[in-house]
Amino acid sequence: MAPRENSHEPGGTPVPVETGFATLATLRIGVKAFVEKDGEKRKAEILSMQTRRGKPTFYVHYEEFNKRLDEWISADRIDLSREVEWPAPEKPEKKKTTTNQKAQAPSKSDQRNQKKSRSKLDREVSATPEATSVNLPGKAPRPTKAGGKENKELLVTSEVTDGSTPKPDDEEMDLVDVQDAAAAAKAAPTEIYSREDEIEKLRTSGSMTQNQTEISRVRNLEKIQMGKFEIEPWYFSPYPIDFVDSEMVFICEYCLSYYGEVTQFERHRTKCTLLHPPGNEIYRDDYVSFFEIDGRRQRTWCRNLCLLSKLFLDHKTLYYDVDPFLFYCMCTRDEHGCHLVGYFSKEKESAEGYNVACILTLPQYQRKGFGKLLIAFSYELSKREGKLGSPEKPLSDLGLLGYRAYWQETIVDLLMEGKVEANIEDLGATTAMTTNDVLHTLQNLNMLRYNKNQHVIVLTDAVIEQRERQKAKEKIKGKRSIDPERLQWKPPIFSAASRTWNW
Amino acid sequence: MTQRVTGQRFRQRKLSTKQNLPVLREHEVEKLADDDAARHIPKVETGVEKGEEIEHHLQAVISASQAAASGGNVAQLYIPTPDAVASKLQYEDLYPRHFTQPATYIRFSSTVEDMVGCPYCMTSDDVIFLKSYNQKKGKTVQCSEDEFEEVMNFFEETSQTKQPFAAVDNPPVVSYEELEAEFDETISEPARRFARDIYNHWKNQRLLKGNRPLIPSLKFETNLETDDSDPYVCFRRREVRQVRKTRGRDAQVTEKLKKLRKELEEARYLMAQVKRREMVIRDQLAMDRQIFDQRTAVKEIKRKLGIKGDDEELLINQKPAPKPKPKVDVQAVQRGIPGMGPKPQLTRPDGRLLDSDLVYLEEQQAKRSEAIEGFIEENLMKHQKWNIGWVDQTWRPITPPLEQAAPKAGFRPVFTSSQLPTPPASESSEAAGDQMEADQPTKQVEPRRSARIRYATPPDDVPYQDQRRFRRRTGRGGRVMIDRRGVKRQKLDSIDERVADRFKYSGDSSEDEQVYPVDWTDNLHIRYRIMIDRQGDKQHAQAAAQNRRAIENHNRSASGYLLPPSNAG
Repeated sequence: MAPRENSHEPGGTPVPVETGFATLATLRIGVKAFVEKDGEKRKAEILSMQTRRGKPTFYVHYEEFNKRLDEWISADRIDLSREVEWPAPEKPEKKKTTTNQKAQAPSKSDQRNQKKSRSKLDREVSATPEATSVNLPGKAPRPTKAGGKENKELLVTSEVTDGSTPKPDDEEMDLVDVQDAAAAAKAAPTEIYSREDEIEKLRTSGSMTQNQTEISRVRNLEKIQMGKFEIEPWYFSPYPIDFVDSEMVFICEYCLSYYGEVTQFERHRTKCTLLHPPGNEIYRDDYVSFFEIDGRRQRTWCRNLCLLSKLFLDHKTLYYDVDPFLFYCMCTRDEHGCHLVGYFSKEKESAEGYNVACILTLPQYQRKGFGKLLIAFSYELSKREGKLGSPEKPLSDLGLLGYRAYWQETIVDLLMEGKVEANIEDLGATTAMTTNDVLHTLQNLNMLRYNKNQHVIVLTDAVIEQRERQKAKEKIKGKRSIDPERLQWKPPIFSAASRTWNW
Repeated sequence: MTQRVTGQRFRQRKLSTKQNLPVLREHEVEKLADDDAARHIPKVETGVEKGEEIEHHLQAVISASQAAASGGNVAQLYIPTPDAVASKLQYEDLYPRHFTQPATYIRFSSTVEDMVGCPYCMTSDDVIFLKSYNQKKGKTVQCSEDEFEEVMNFFEETSQTKQPFAAVDNPPVVSYEELEAEFDETISEPARRFARDIYNHWKNQRLLKGNRPLIPSLKFETNLETDDSDPYVCFRRREVRQVRKTRGRDAQVTEKLKKLRKELEEARYLMAQVKRREMVIRDQLAMDRQIFDQRTAVKEIKRKLGIKGDDEELLINQKPAPKPKPKVDVQAVQRGIPGMGPKPQLTRPDGRLLDSDLVYLEEQQAKRSEAIEGFIEENLMKHQKWNIGWVDQTWRPITPPLEQAAPKAGFRPVFTSSQLPTPPASESSEAAGDQMEADQPTKQVEPRRSARIRYATPPDDVPYQDQRRFRRRTGRGGRVMIDRRGVKRQKLDSIDERVADRFKYSGDSSEDEQVYPVDWTDNLHIRYRIMIDRQGDKQHAQAAAQNRRAIENHNRSASGYLLPPSNAG
């Protein structure tokens, strides 16, 4: 995510970061302090603060750690013996007042609110009128309307400006109100700010963080219950705002409906008759089944799926509806039904030739080889279509590793069949991989070399050794792969009408 | 070693993805500084966001795998993720073992809404309420959970349709009476019994929520400005801008296809018609042949039986086409008389040369003279009519007053029309002062003119030689004589020399004209005479000429002088 990149390393611009010692009372959102994480101190940015059971807690993002490791911490994990970095002020001369106000406001109001709303998000970023929005209302950049991108993190650069109307200290607001107000304030900043202030903000704001929608950076769900598992969400997902109060959100394993209360969920379970994803089974072997689901026909189910997967995918947008996508869902089967393990979505028509939009193995099934099966299946579909495919970018860290592993295995296996010669395009054609991905893989494995005035592909000893080890492992555990014979599928054809999003 | 040196001297060739590259094992390759090779291969991006590429755990794993790729033995690393743990919920109870796998692949199209039954699910509050409610009720009328949910769902859905913007404008909770009025098939009879009692519970729940729907729902776009920045707003409708673009192009393509299709249809239709025509012709030929055969047969029979008759009528299908009458172009001739010269007709209307139906010259000439006579007669009548009620007091008129019922037949035909019609009065005492006279041609016909002098002035623009002049004299013994001048004999008259000789001295000799060039009918002299009588007004003369022009539109000179038919010459 671009905004965070900027926050990590303040670009090439040598903006002197103001540092200093802080007390618990002067800590505020945007402050970067050292926090104890797994036995070591890491620099972390405070993204949100609230009071739980009378004690202040902080939502922190560790620098150079993925956002999924962001967490709520108690104050005692913050190392106040070391200097903290103050957030870049909007205007240096006004900084004093900002700090002063900030120092008092949160603690005061939090103490008053501590019983009322346990999970109240104190989202006061800056109570000074200087903190203004970069964008005028209605000018927030929209994502491209044309592409069917599902994968892109939206750069809706709105910003937190609920400080514009200083909150009375004694006012108690419940969480919903605060968030609504925040959203409203972001979109429509009050007219207190002068034009100069806005321009100044536009010019000076080095960190995009301030322009980022703060709410969506903080995870909104504590925990979800699904099937046999309780899972900790990784990222924000726009489930109903009411669930912020819930300790646990219950998700039905089959219809993926969501409930904030166990009673409701149990009632639902007595009524729900779905036992597998609501589409056609297009692949079945003794291990998994694949179902194909049209976002247009199964709008509710696909929306539920997207909400769920957004909890674990950072670079996914639910900005637009599910209509232009097909969802390929992988399930394991038992007497209970078909348990959703993972899925990938695919544009009905991809302008860029992507064969996967979003891909996810649910966290409870990760590190079991399901990801590779999903990827293999996506390439199997591409082979059936007679096209080369590549996953939509950006990839997540886990996505990159998953794909690299699959690519390596596929290409090395192909080369080890005893070939004397190979060309990169042919390798791509047999595997339905794009030329670029083949090149990427070979290069990454240090297999492309220059020898005797020509380029050669080298099956390095390391690569061979790695593959042998893998094969040995497969012999013990059993190799899981996709059998093209079992795929009962023809590439679906969509008329122009069904590809559009008419309702 | 030498090879290596030379290899480095040359620039490496670019890597071609289409080219076959040898696949080698590591021991087959020279040990090189590998970064050399890498230089010439385009660096492929990982596809991960730049900001995340530097993340600690990812980098750790990548460097570990790179170490592995280059031969190091590194323990496999994982990117740490938040935990997923076994749930304490009783899975077996919640998810009973109902699934039996069909032998064939599952085909399924029901939606979630079809499969989950009543969308309202009881909350713990509802359970407490229902428990106490059923305790109060007798054992016979217990409200089941399904019935309760049915009623609650009905309330929710009905109030949603009645107050779609309840969350925004905070209306009061819908009254029970209003809800009751909406009862329909979505709420069953047994459930309706409890509706009134459940209503209060529902209302309380609604009020606790600020009259918002009890089931948490997603935030959809409301078309407000806040939509864009609200991270909770999801599943927006996609705009169809792109579609519209293609629609425009599609329309063009459609038009082209339509046109093509239409053209093809037309061509096909033409071909079909041609085919039909040929079929008809074939049939006709067959028919003709049959007729011919039968007629021959008839002929044979007739011959055998000795019947004598006209074979012709039997053997010829068609009567001989009546010979087209030699069409005398009467119309053309008549048209030609008053001035529209008949165009030389070399061909008949059907295009054939004009040889079979010859037009005789005598006929033509007779017709022509007849037409001319008719024309003269007509104008004569007109002139007399015009002069009714007027007394000619001209002293020695140049144009003598016409005799009543002048026996036309007594004169030889005059091949001219120049004296006709009599020009209008050139002046009147009243009109002399009236400048507007010329602009009121309609008044010309009114009999209020009192011309004392009537004359017909040959206009200036007609050469003197061409002007025809006539004079009537009364001679001794009451003979009436007409003198003429400038009349040419019609050239069409094929008069032989002897006949021509007869008239040799009947006309004024040309020598006379030369000897006495002064002509008393000359404009100058006439004008002079007019001026004697009155103070001449040139304008009047011009106005008169214009009026004349207005009256007739025959073949005239520029000033309105009536010229003889052009074909006369």
